[in-house]
Amino acid sequence: MGLTIAVGIKWVPNQQAVRFDERTGTLIREGVTSIVNPHDLDAVELALRIRDRYGGKVVALSMSPPSAVKGLEHVIGMGVDEGVLISDRAFAGADTLATSYVISSALRRLGGFDLALFGQETIDSSTAHIPAQVAGWLGLPYLYYATEVELDGSGRKVIVKRMLEDRAEWYELDMPAVLGVAMKSQLPRPVKLSNKLRLREENPIRTWSNAELKLDQRCVGLRGSPTIVAKSTWTPEVPRRRQILEGTPEEAARKLVEALFREGVLR
Amino acid sequence: MHMRFDVVVVGAGPAGAAAAYAAASGGLKVLLVERGRGAGSKQVYGGKVYSHYLEEALGDLKGAPIERWVGKERLSIVDDAGRTATLEYEGGSTRAFTAHLTKLAAWLVDRAASAGAVFVDEVRVDSLRRDPSGRFSGVEAGGELVEADVIIDAEGVNRLLLERAGLVERASTRDLALGVKEVVRIGEKEVEERFGLDKGEGLSWILVGGVTGGLPGGAFVYTNKDTVSLGLVLYVDAAARAIEEPVHSMIEKLRTHPALHRYWADGDVVEYAAKLTPESGYRYMPRRLVADGLMVAGDAAGMLLNLGYTFRGVDYAVYSGYMAGRAAIAARDRGGPTEENLRELYEEPLRRSRPFRDLWRLRGVERAMEGGDRYFRRYPALMGAALRSMFELGESTPSIYEALRGAAEESGISIIGALVDALMMARSI
Ligand SMILES: Cc1cc2nc3c(=O)[nH]c(=O)nc-3n(C[C@H](O)[C@H](O)[C@H](O)COP(=O)(O)OP(=O)(O)OC[C@H]3O[C@@H](n4cnc5c(N)ncnc54)[C@H](O)[C@@H]3O)c2cc1C
Repeated sequence: MGLTIAVGIKWVPNQQAVRFDERTGTLIREGVTSIVNPHDLDAVELALRIRDRYGGKVVALSMSPPSAVKGLEHVIGMGVDEGVLISDRAFAGADTLATSYVISSALRRLGGFDLALFGQETIDSSTAHIPAQVAGWLGLPYLYYATEVELDGSGRKVIVKRMLEDRAEWYELDMPAVLGVAMKSQLPRPVKLSNKLRLREENPIRTWSNAELKLDQRCVGLRGSPTIVAKSTWTPEVPRRRQILEGTPEEAARKLVEALFREGVLR
Repeated sequence: MHMRFDVVVVGAGPAGAAAAYAAASGGLKVLLVERGRGAGSKQVYGGKVYSHYLEEALGDLKGAPIERWVGKERLSIVDDAGRTATLEYEGGSTRAFTAHLTKLAAWLVDRAASAGAVFVDEVRVDSLRRDPSGRFSGVEAGGELVEADVIIDAEGVNRLLLERAGLVERASTRDLALGVKEVVRIGEKEVEERFGLDKGEGLSWILVGGVTGGLPGGAFVYTNKDTVSLGLVLYVDAAARAIEEPVHSMIEKLRTHPALHRYWADGDVVEYAAKLTPESGYRYMPRRLVADGLMVAGDAAGMLLNLGYTFRGVDYAVYSGYMAGRAAIAARDRGGPTEENLRELYEEPLRRSRPFRDLWRLRGVERAMEGGDRYFRRYPALMGAALRSMFELGESTPSIYEALRGAAEESGISIIGALVDALMMARSI
């Protein structure tokens, strides 16, 4: 029968492709493609390894606008078995509380799972809230910075290794359990042609809107989000001066060091 | 999983998409493989596309992501001092449109998929496989093999697969040009007001001379719906020599050029892209366009015309890809895609076709465009100086001949030499 492993992925703007307009001093977001949050790919890889070792299936869920189908297609290309796009206008503008509420409702709707894996955090908001909150909504054990997962002999418990700065720890958790997977802990596998062909033949992606999830409108989206961004500040912008230092490399280096002392950068 | 198709097409650019469309329309089981995410995602953005061969291949352009139909053509010669002479043509009938190549490729792939082709992206083909008899029998991607009766290679200008299969030599920098390009958003109304265009009308503008800092190549400006595409095409050898000035700073110079800047002032740069292109399609062409079980189409086949003032890559790619797709169907009804059959059904008709004959006929012009300094620096200087003495009058009024002679002396060009060049150029055209 095997395990059912859910993995959450977020569709985020590719920040490496976001360029800076030197003239207006703003970020150029237009034409910037979105990608699967890179840290979520660690979770996908770990989920696939667990499945490959113990059998079962991996289901990827993404609460995102419809364009995130491309992200689900990518992880199915990696070997994920099924995808669920959770998409509804009503879910837009959500903070982490409202988001984790929707995701945990979707996990419930899956009809039973053994493990739910998430990336450690996202590159576009870095809160790391979602897995913890999902575990909270579902009342399940939760561990973060997970790097390795093994089943114990009974098949109802997992042994999870997590890496901290100065030590490794092993925990025993009852299943179902929720894990935040340590960023950069896995090497996500490439997309395979046969997986993409299966995607085209079987179309294993479902879309759930609020018509399926039937959540109270007051608890989702902007209305269900108590978080308020009270204030944000930017680090001051230091204009570049583009000075060219003449002379031999040694002379130029000396001038550079002198200039840095003058500016108080070096003391 | 055993994977087998009648046709595997490598590359979902205009050539590959058209090939997949044609083959799938004839009932073949087609796989179209693209390494980028989505069709055309690895391609350079906006440009100008001639519609004739697209309409011929696809029947119609319904739903095509056309930005504007080109109703106005401009050709400018700019000298190093920024003096500009412009020839403008309008009032004719429109034969070309501007489009973002990524969107156009995606639209073509949709057509192919509606015709039944299976499209797979994010998968790079690593090699073309041959069976023991030497026949091309499939492609290998990430350690997996897909078998095919026939492969259509539409991998574009950087044809690593053909190189690896020993069918072409490694490209020399002398055969390649580098295109860099920016898209600037100024708004729909501004596009029309600033370039003097009617509603929905497009402009295609080619500039040579001072815009490339005297390097062989040219600059282009195309208007899209609410953006302007501007860019440079530089011969790679020259671009490499210009290392003191990186190409991205050259395009910055183009954008801030005193004679041009006002067209897109206050605009936002929304795209930046750079890509190689064959300098001369004819010279880039592989010796053979077919082998047992294989056809080559599009840029990979050298189907691209670059005359400096005219650039035909997308429409020729669609044309050759479409022909390859049709040939796959005809070959099946004729005992299979043997080298002989494919030569008769694809290579020979292609060599007899109008685009191919034009490539051959115009190969001299492409060569002349490499004339370097003369065409890209000294003649613009001659023109700038002559027009200055004709139009910037003070004490005296020179005749056209005097203006030319004075300008020739000033720019160090002999009029006889210039006439000989003009004649040579005229003959090669
Ligand atoms: C700056 C610039 C401006 C241009 N402007 C114009 C213009 O205005 N008008 C015009 O008509 N033409 C223009 N061209 C030329 C035009 O872009 C090309 O001629 C045309 O795109 C060629 O089509 P193609 O399908 O042969 O190749 P491409 O469009 O290059 O497509 C090849 C595809 O194959 C994929 N691929 C390559 N290798 C593999 C592999 N191993 N596995 C899987 N997929 C692979 C690539 O990702 C790519 O998507 C321009 C080119 C440049 C560089």
